[in-house]
Amino acid sequence: MQRKILGLLVLLLAGCVLLAGCTGTTPAPNTTTTSSVNQSDLKDSYIIGIDNAYKPFSYQEKDGSFNGFDIESSKWIANKLGFKVEHQAVAWDGMIPALQAKKIDMVYSGMTILEERKAQVAFSKPYLKINQSVAVRDDSTLTFDDIMAGKAVIGTQRGTSGEAEVQKLIDAGKMPASNLKTFDNFPLAIQALVNKQVDATVYDKPSTIEAIAGQPVKIIGDIDTNEQYGIAIRKEDTVLLDAMNRGLDLLMADPYWDELKAKYNLTET
Amino acid sequence: MDQLAFIADILLPALWGGLLVTLQLIAAAAPFGVLIGAGIAVGRVYGSRPVQYFSRAYVAFFKGCPLLLLLFILYFGLPSAGISLSPFTASVLGFIFCNSAYDSEYIRGAIKSIREGQFTAGLALGMTRGQVIRNVILPQALRRAIPGLVNEFVYLIKYSSLAYMITVIELTGAGKMVATRYFTYNETFLVIGLVYLSLVTVTTIGAHLLERRVAVPGMASGRH
Repeated sequence: MQRKILGLLVLLLAGCVLLAGCTGTTPAPNTTTTSSVNQSDLKDSYIIGIDNAYKPFSYQEKDGSFNGFDIESSKWIANKLGFKVEHQAVAWDGMIPALQAKKIDMVYSGMTILEERKAQVAFSKPYLKINQSVAVRDDSTLTFDDIMAGKAVIGTQRGTSGEAEVQKLIDAGKMPASNLKTFDNFPLAIQALVNKQVDATVYDKPSTIEAIAGQPVKIIGDIDTNEQYGIAIRKEDTVLLDAMNRGLDLLMADPYWDELKAKYNLTET
Repeated sequence: MDQLAFIADILLPALWGGLLVTLQLIAAAAPFGVLIGAGIAVGRVYGSRPVQYFSRAYVAFFKGCPLLLLLFILYFGLPSAGISLSPFTASVLGFIFCNSAYDSEYIRGAIKSIREGQFTAGLALGMTRGQVIRNVILPQALRRAIPGLVNEFVYLIKYSSLAYMITVIELTGAGKMVATRYFTYNETFLVIGLVYLSLVTVTTIGAHLLERRVAVPGMASGRH
């Protein structure tokens, strides 16, 4: 009986090791890019992965529909290029795996172009530049320098460039790892800030401004990351990448672009 | 990076920290789960009317409330009532509520499997109701409940990962952070899966030994 169980365990382990071996090899990325996109190579519809609690870029309205700067941008581009798009909410820290697993075709949801991400997926040309904001409660005596010295419990969203900034403090030995609290979405981090469960938050400036509206919370400074948003697309999907780059060119040259930016209070610095 | 080097240098140290937190969560929650579960079960079978109603409501509420929602209420909701819990405390409380509700059902079933004649016999020997429950019914019922309680314990091992949703960096959370940072989802989750599998295996073997150890000669388990 016991020998049987042992045998089964060994078998299971062997299976796991085999599986692990399979994941080690990643196909060489296709680096050949065609400058002109053949319209007929595009599919009829694409699925866009979004964070649905990410004002003003992508969020869910009370009636369940999606809205926001990136949602409207993507619909405009799709309309111009002649394909349909469908938006799908995905957990932020699972976004790139979902893209790689072809559950979605692109991430068009205020995703910062980071080196670590570029090693995994391709990015369109940048379309917006932002910084990270540090927010604390109105009654807080913490200063921006205190935060950068690692003297606070900081909340942010999992898998974001905000988390990466806080991680830098941890890596530099300024702050214990336990002082970083990560949440599923940013509004939850603000809730925890109001509840005094964290002392500060670090997150994209436009979204911080939206999330703290009406809350007893203030922004005490910005970390000048000068990071840029881009659309993430699978490396091998060069047809779509070229199309979205062309779409962004068209959009940013159109008066609608400034209209959209004004509508969502996105005046670039 | 070489896969083995990644697992040895980055993944395993991170998971070790997470594993310790997971074990703390379980160790803090499981004993209270069984204790309160036994109390609720006794209350439902032998309690006065109000006690019975309370026990039933307790079980109905915590069995019906998704654990994740419960954790959110305890962590994000209670501060608006002036009670601010640490993520760890909120998780343990949530686990205790959930665990005890289910445990009580296993124990109640076991109590009901003890023949009523034993209760009457106890009373006839001059014991009080409390004494009969404590000395006659529960020692047998708890033994019979062991398989069910172990089942629930195994669930606890796995649902302890929900604590991550309220920022407790336990095993799954620690792994997820590494996976997100280094984009090593397959390797990470595979290793995490193996750790949970070994935890459950150790539990199962432990439960088997416990069952043998507390077995009473002549008392067939669960049969008459």
